[in-house]
Amino acid sequence: MKGTNLEFEEGDKIVLHNGSPLLPTSTDGAAAKAIDTPTPSDGAAAKAIETTKTDAQAIEVSHLVKRFGAFTAVNDISFSVAVGETFGFLGPNGAGKTTTIRMLTGISPPTSGMATIFGHDIVRETVAARQSMGIVSETSNVYTDLTGWQNMMLAAQLYRVGRSERDKKATELLKRFELHERRGDKVHGYSKGMKRRLTIAMGLVNSPRLLFLDEPTSGLDVESNLIIRDMISDLIAGGVTVFLTTHNIEEANVLCDRVAIIDKGHIAAIDAPERLKKTIQSVQSVEVAFLDGKSPERLDELRSLPMVNDARKEGDKFKLFTENPTEVIESVMAYAQTHHTRVISITTLGPSLEDVFVKLTGLQHSGGGVTAID
Amino acid sequence: MGFQDRLSRELVAAWAIAKKDVLIYYLRPGVIVGGVLFPLFMFLAFTAGKLATPVALVPGLIGITTLFSASSIEPVSVPIERRMATFDRLLAAPISLNALVLGESLSGLLYSLLIAVVVFVAALIILMTPITNIFLIVLGILFSSLCFATLGTLFAAYPTENPGDIISMVNVIRFPLIFISGVFIPIATLPAVGQMIAYISPLTYANDLIQGGYNGKMTFHPIVDVLMLIVFILIFQLIANYLYKRFND
Repeated sequence: MKGTNLEFEEGDKIVLHNGSPLLPTSTDGAAAKAIDTPTPSDGAAAKAIETTKTDAQAIEVSHLVKRFGAFTAVNDISFSVAVGETFGFLGPNGAGKTTTIRMLTGISPPTSGMATIFGHDIVRETVAARQSMGIVSETSNVYTDLTGWQNMMLAAQLYRVGRSERDKKATELLKRFELHERRGDKVHGYSKGMKRRLTIAMGLVNSPRLLFLDEPTSGLDVESNLIIRDMISDLIAGGVTVFLTTHNIEEANVLCDRVAIIDKGHIAAIDAPERLKKTIQSVQSVEVAFLDGKSPERLDELRSLPMVNDARKEGDKFKLFTENPTEVIESVMAYAQTHHTRVISITTLGPSLEDVFVKLTGLQHSGGGVTAID
Repeated sequence: MGFQDRLSRELVAAWAIAKKDVLIYYLRPGVIVGGVLFPLFMFLAFTAGKLATPVALVPGLIGITTLFSASSIEPVSVPIERRMATFDRLLAAPISLNALVLGESLSGLLYSLLIAVVVFVAALIILMTPITNIFLIVLGILFSSLCFATLGTLFAAYPTENPGDIISMVNVIRFPLIFISGVFIPIATLPAVGQMIAYISPLTYANDLIQGGYNGKMTFHPIVDVLMLIVFILIFQLIANYLYKRFND
């Protein structure tokens, strides 16, 4: 690949200068990085590729079960996450994501089954397993009555980061997350995005080899979102294993080597995002926008076109689901002519990871978003 | 990892937890009311009722001060931290539950020591309270503070996000202890059942040490008092460990 216009890696894809994804040749997303072996632009990326070549597993989960009385929250799940891999864990609310993370981080003991972190059993060797991980929970669980600096020091002491290293690391992370100037201020004066950034900084203070990120960018402003996404990309490039839970399916699509979709305590699918999309090729779509915008009847009219399985309005566009995009494009052009309007844009789209998610979890689209059937 | 390294790691973490509590919770209204004002009002009530002279009541005041102040931090801090999800941060840290419980108890211990020293010095200056053996007073304050701090941590294991729930439960234990531990009412004057219950109250042994330090009158040998307090501390710590583990789910 040396001499090509390789720019950077995005999840299981290698993005070229024109933005088109190069699908991996391996079935395994993590291994795919090693196979293409690009000449990376920096040493960190090289380290990441080298790391993924090892056989070591960062996380190994075997027949993990968690019951609360008669309710089974997690039902016999098994998977592994390779060292250096970015693993997405997706699922609707109540699917068992947080319960799984609580078991993997040793907060909640499993009812049966086992999980290891870098070979350490999370139940029997909890402290050793936790030492190499960083945990960023869904809630920004920072001490609002302490300053940003005091929060960092507390986290460093809990993870026994040495005194000199503590100051250096805290300074570096606070600068990285653009919080250094406010380090002496109590956290209750921070914005939501700043608290989130501090939470992540605290999760990185021990330079973890494995980072659990639970909804890292949920509900944040654009600036915080960008800072956090950049940071995650840097960590991935640096060879840190990332276990990412997110509702933002596009985020998982872009960042993850592989994703697991969990529903009602079961794992419905695990694979690289692109391979998961291939499993539902029937969910292709045509996205179209008309010059005269929308009319109330247009959605129903488009839905009744030949070969259109379903139609959805998305902003100023309509998304038509089909197994035959070519025929639908012809129908749409004919429709435009008949209704004296013009098509200002038309695009064919493959199935998105969200489509896979919807299909596997039994959710259904409602308006522009995804809602649970029940 | 060697034992020494492990122990050092645990102590550093416990101290970090305690320091965090000192910075955040010592000036909370619930802590001040429960830990400082209540023992003071109790002392004033007994003084006003002329049950004994203020000087005679000082050992008892120190006893109930350690009881209330040491056990007032965790019932406030732990539920608040559950609500803020910061408690999960402590539960997920690479430390044992022993270190977590010890860290939580340490903040109660330090708070109690601080208040007890203030009371001790104030009594010395204002009331010129005579002292027979200061070493016994120090032992009494130290061990009873740790014991009651661990008791507070134990109750705080109850899985609620409302401090009021835990404070109510702790009070169910704290109030009766005042009356059956020889603090203001001598054990010898209690009915037979009361005297038997007094033996299973940690405050009895704490009060015995402090009384001995002030007026030389003791029911038990000081070693018995210290050993009994150590036994209570260990029992509370073990139960607290069990409860935090059980209620984590």
